[in-house]
Amino acid sequence: MVEMTNLPEDPRPEDSPVSAAIGGGGESWWKIRLALMRRSFRDNWKIFRRNKVGVFGLVIIAFWGIMAVMPTVFFATGFWTPAVYDPVTGLELDPPTRTMTMVERITDPNTEIDRRAVLLDGRIPDTLQIGDTFELPLQPAPPDGRHWLGTDPLGRDILSQLMHGARASFFLGIVAAVVTVVIGTTIGSVAAYFGGMVDSFLMRLADLLIMIPGVALLIVIGAVFTYQLWHLAVVIGVLSGFGGTAIVLKSQALAVKVKPFIDAARVAGGSARHIIFYHLIPNVMPLSVLYMMFTVTGAIQSEAVLSFLGIFNTDTSWGLMMNLARTQGYLLQVADFWWLTVPAGLAVTLLSGAFFLVGRGMDEIVNPRLRRR
Amino acid sequence: MTADRLPVEVSGGRAPLLEVSGLVLRYDTEVGEVSAVENVSFSLGRAEAMGLVGESGCGKTSVALSLLRLAPDNARYRSGSILWEGVDLLGLSDQQMRLYRWAEISMVFQGAMNAWNPVYRVGEQIREAMYQHFDPPLSKPETNQRLDDLFRLVGLDPAVQNRYPHELSGGMRQRAVIAMALSCEPKLIIADEPTTALDVIVQAQILEELKEIQEDLGLSILYISHDMAVIAQVTDTIGVMYAGKLVEFGPTREVFRRPRHPYSFLLLSSIPSVTGPRRRPVSLEGTPPNLLAPPAGCRFHPRCPWATEQCRNDEPPMMQIGPSQWAACWNAEQVPEMGDQLP
Amino acid sequence: MIRYLTRRLVQMVLLFLVFLTVTWFLLYILPGDSVALKYAGNPNIPPEAREVALERLGLDKPVLIQFRDYMFNFFQGDLGVSFNQYPRPVVDIIGERLPRTLVLFLTALVTYYWAGFVAGKFLAWRRGNRGEMAVTIGGVGLYSMFLPFFAFMLIWFFSVQLGWLPISKFLDPEQWRDAPFAANEVFMRLFWVTLLTAIAMFMASLAAHRTRGRMLERILRWGGGALVIAAFLFYWFGTEAGQGMRIYAGDIAFHMILPVLTLTLINFAGVMLLTRSSMLETLREDFILTARAKGLPEGMIRDRHAARTALLPVATSLVLAVATVIDGGVITEAVFSWPGMGEILISSVLSEDIPLAVGAFAFIGVLALIGHFVVDVLYGLLDPRIRVTEHG
Repeated sequence: MVEMTNLPEDPRPEDSPVSAAIGGGGESWWKIRLALMRRSFRDNWKIFRRNKVGVFGLVIIAFWGIMAVMPTVFFATGFWTPAVYDPVTGLELDPPTRTMTMVERITDPNTEIDRRAVLLDGRIPDTLQIGDTFELPLQPAPPDGRHWLGTDPLGRDILSQLMHGARASFFLGIVAAVVTVVIGTTIGSVAAYFGGMVDSFLMRLADLLIMIPGVALLIVIGAVFTYQLWHLAVVIGVLSGFGGTAIVLKSQALAVKVKPFIDAARVAGGSARHIIFYHLIPNVMPLSVLYMMFTVTGAIQSEAVLSFLGIFNTDTSWGLMMNLARTQGYLLQVADFWWLTVPAGLAVTLLSGAFFLVGRGMDEIVNPRLRRR
Repeated sequence: MTADRLPVEVSGGRAPLLEVSGLVLRYDTEVGEVSAVENVSFSLGRAEAMGLVGESGCGKTSVALSLLRLAPDNARYRSGSILWEGVDLLGLSDQQMRLYRWAEISMVFQGAMNAWNPVYRVGEQIREAMYQHFDPPLSKPETNQRLDDLFRLVGLDPAVQNRYPHELSGGMRQRAVIAMALSCEPKLIIADEPTTALDVIVQAQILEELKEIQEDLGLSILYISHDMAVIAQVTDTIGVMYAGKLVEFGPTREVFRRPRHPYSFLLLSSIPSVTGPRRRPVSLEGTPPNLLAPPAGCRFHPRCPWATEQCRNDEPPMMQIGPSQWAACWNAEQVPEMGDQLP
Repeated sequence: MIRYLTRRLVQMVLLFLVFLTVTWFLLYILPGDSVALKYAGNPNIPPEAREVALERLGLDKPVLIQFRDYMFNFFQGDLGVSFNQYPRPVVDIIGERLPRTLVLFLTALVTYYWAGFVAGKFLAWRRGNRGEMAVTIGGVGLYSMFLPFFAFMLIWFFSVQLGWLPISKFLDPEQWRDAPFAANEVFMRLFWVTLLTAIAMFMASLAAHRTRGRMLERILRWGGGALVIAAFLFYWFGTEAGQGMRIYAGDIAFHMILPVLTLTLINFAGVMLLTRSSMLETLREDFILTARAKGLPEGMIRDRHAARTALLPVATSLVLAVATVIDGGVITEAVFSWPGMGEILISSVLSEDIPLAVGAFAFIGVLALIGHFVVDVLYGLLDPRIRVTEHG
């Protein structure tokens, strides 16, 4: 069983049954709560810091955090111009070229169209004769001084897309995590507090939800809705919040429910709402933060998969970058066009993995029995 | 057990069963070396019941586990020896040591609830030990017969062996643990807090039965407990440990009548006596020392009412006080008899 | 045990009904009749044809009637007709695809649980914090590896660079041009033979686990395993039925290697990490100390005591993992164009073939439910505490 830690069992002196019943305390109530939170945060940070794995994850998250902020800086300082570096509409007008010599002209016998010319998108002047040399624009272009990670088949900067993709991932992950935590703690606490029918209903619902393969469901939903990033975040959050997270948090809330201060609040006439929101939820919070991390991992992965499969439409995302590489046929030419797939693929892996690592690091705080002795 | 499985070095035939001398055990930890057992020596004869008492963390369990060489991985034996019938257990290879475990020395663990693997039947878990240690191996009917006998011996229905641990009550589990400890005919049983988790009535029954079994089978038992009452009831000799050191050793009767170490005295005074002279229970002030950096001199001096300058500087050795009583105290003579008033 | 299982079974069936209802409403009702739109709104379809199509599809009836019909038909095995592969019934398509998914899924599941468990067991047994960080980071890295990316890297490496394995698909059409068998026939044969082999292997190792003689255990484990493998080979090389199909079955199996490898590698790490921490936890238990004190050999303490008990939380995790594993399967099928349930799900969704999509999704749900039920049974068998409490 998971045990509570660090949050003191009886959260504050003012929280005597009497003041709880009157609902008084007001300002000082919050001050104390805040001070306690700060203290427990400090203590927990000390424990967390010792966990190398968690810190490693945090470093990766920080790296991507910086990546997500960089485009704003680059555009603001004029280092990047939107015309070239915009992740969606940007275009490198002056790509690197390769000098080629025309050795033969092939004309399709049926259509009389110069096939080579078609292949090269009409970029070879008609006047070109055999033996002439010409400059073939390279698109996708390999990394160079202007585009540190090269450009994609449409001539857009990969690094810029990667940075904007980080932004999308953070947004998605955080929204999904917040939704999960809000729903999960509420459902878990309500089920634990009321028990009986309410509990049974909510837990059967959770049973159902954990059984549903999330990606498959999102694919099916994708068949009938065109949804946006935040829709996706909410759906993932709801699935996880009502499902697995609710189950775990309920058992945690049950453990809190039997503690004496809950009885004290109840004896003093605290309403169900009061007890749930002021006593149960704050005490299951640490564990829910842990589940938040795992939700982020899942959310980032799901989005990437959906974008990759072309089911989910968004402007920029890591999955979409790989989707483009796939639809344009570069996916299996990893050695020649690595910048189209490897940065995006690694980005998904690293960021989602980093949240998972942080979650594991936090596990040691939330589950004291795992702590090193 | 056949003799050829054990490297026998019988020393004169009258060697005690177990002789621990100068045992020093330290734990390697991230913050430094914890001195858990410091220069502990005692011996235990055949068919003798001895007790080791002390507060939790005083090293008594470390001593017990050392006899089976089961101390945690970070344990380091700095010096000393554990002679079992003349053979130093600390010098054996892991494979040789394995043959001594259970066959010669078995153990009744603290908190018998967790001593059972939840996924196997009780009988199965005893059988696997018997399967390891009988040479020639017992046949199937012999094993079953022995198992039935063992269960009857400890006062359980032999049918209990087909149950899972979680289906037994605390008392039943503890009895089954004793049956398991007896299964390979050991010469010594280490009973680490054998009754702590049980209610008082079951506790008394089990202690009574253990005592009977010990006398009937001629076993030696080493009781490990923080509970003076338990020790008084069942042991012949007693060792008192404080902060990793053995501070007093002697016949139980003597030590209880006239402890010669202040710690033993205070420990005994802290339990109210029903039959003895009326006195006020005293409480022991202070806390046990930090074993990462034990105090200089006598480890008990910060809490000792009789402490002198000498106690603060020089570590007292074990000194013979009575015919068979030893204490590690410079001022052993000043420790009053039980029932006397504190100075 | 029986009562417990019956209760779980009833719960599962009820859950499935809810699941089906929700799915149906989600797809048919919410999008503002997108099915009808596909036909009604398409100017290329003449009005009369549209009427006929709508009527045949039952789309002209009120929603609740449609729902009732759908449920009725579902349990009679009629899931409607695919739009895109008209007039092929959905059930027919699913009937063909489901075993393919199952095979991929089960092979990968067994492989990675076994490999992960064994790896985790040994990692924990070596103990110490040495390499803990490397193992955790490596494990998490593999676990959170972006599946399509990883799959394509494997394809690129093994198929493009080395040319050892086929890039994708279920079989090699060149080789099958004059085949005297239908692909499905061969596949089903392969399926049954392999399943029987796996069951026989499992029985042998179970028997080995049960015995106490170490010699006997070894004979059963290795000898039994060898015997089963010999029987398996004999079927394909020695019997007439097997010989004829061998090349074709071999081709299908050849195409399975890479998808199974992908799924195994991705999921293996999670099981390994979990087993490792569960095992480390178990090693601290008193009964391990008891086992040591009893003088049991180390291998016995590791396998019979620590690993066997550490298996319990790992088995529980399987309950939560069923959905994740199915998701992984869906993605893998898409990447490898493996014609299974996941691949139909995605292609039908992309081509807006709603009946097929619902059917596929419903059966993926069935798969998840059955998976759960099996895991429940398994858990009951593994943990005597469950077995007995439920006796009541």
